[in-house]
Amino acid sequence: MSRRLFSRRAARCFLALLLLAGGTFNTFAANLKLEAKLIWGTDDEKSPDPEHKEVDAVTREKLRKVFKWKNYFIVNRVVKEVPSRSSNQFKLSPDCTIEIKELEGPKVEVKLIGKGKEVHKTTLTISKGQSVVYSGDDKNQSAWFVIITELDEK
Amino acid sequence: MNLEQQLKLQAWVDGELPEAEARQMAAFVQGQSEAQTLVGELRITKGFLAGNEPEAKLPESGDFYWSKIQRAIEQEEKVAARAPGASWTFAWRRLMAPISGVALIAFLSVLSFNVFRQQSVDDGANLLVEVENLSEDIGSISYRSQSENMFVVYLYKKDVQEAENDPIAEPVDDTFLQ
Repeated sequence: MSRRLFSRRAARCFLALLLLAGGTFNTFAANLKLEAKLIWGTDDEKSPDPEHKEVDAVTREKLRKVFKWKNYFIVNRVVKEVPSRSSNQFKLSPDCTIEIKELEGPKVEVKLIGKGKEVHKTTLTISKGQSVVYSGDDKNQSAWFVIITELDEK
Repeated sequence: MNLEQQLKLQAWVDGELPEAEARQMAAFVQGQSEAQTLVGELRITKGFLAGNEPEAKLPESGDFYWSKIQRAIEQEEKVAARAPGASWTFAWRRLMAPISGVALIAFLSVLSFNVFRQQSVDDGANLLVEVENLSEDIGSISYRSQSENMFVVYLYKKDVQEAENDPIAEPVDDTFLQ
């Protein structure tokens, strides 16, 4: 009668776990799923553009704590993946594009492009729950915001 | 004489043919000298084999011999069952081997998570942010809101800010929303 230290089932489980662990290592170098939102902030109760939807309550409260405007409306929302060690562009309006590059660290390089010209570059570590916000003043005491967040789902 | 006839002849010599066919074959052999020669050879071969086939004889009666084998098998099974220490140790080792492997993988996963994620996020160095104005006309003010977990970059037109010393005075680009 032969007896083996590892049963076949145990060996298979071990192999599966090993592959899973390998996958875990890869996860950290995986693609980033990011959301970029172009938002208009105003003290007016409604947006003149009926297609603009109000931001959700959580985002509104968050923005109200940092900025002075009362109401915030979503102009455009783009969700894209940024491949590991690569970049992707988020076109939010004809004149506003965000280019995001995934860097070692993990860090991201966020580039704001206005009217085809590179305006500003920020390099930082982005984590889940954290937002990177670009902002500027707009007409009639209003403001525009570009909010970039990492999404949970892969 | 073809192969079929030769095989039939062999069957006849071995007494395997039905009576009618055996009679036909006997008549056939009588008329064929070649067949007679073959029959002679076959009978000589048969005689050799029959006379010299080894016969295995049991040293004791068959029942006693097989019961001895059965008792030996049962004895071996009892010995294996009577060694609980050895089997317990083996079972423990067999259990611990994959567990230790899993523990190692879990340890490496946690370690990698710390290396790749936690440390990088928590380290002070990773809270540093590089900001760069790429346009000469645009200035920026950046700040981090810890309570809202938000990093804000406010953009303004440089000339107006310098003139009025007020960064919130002039829109950077009215057409971003269009």
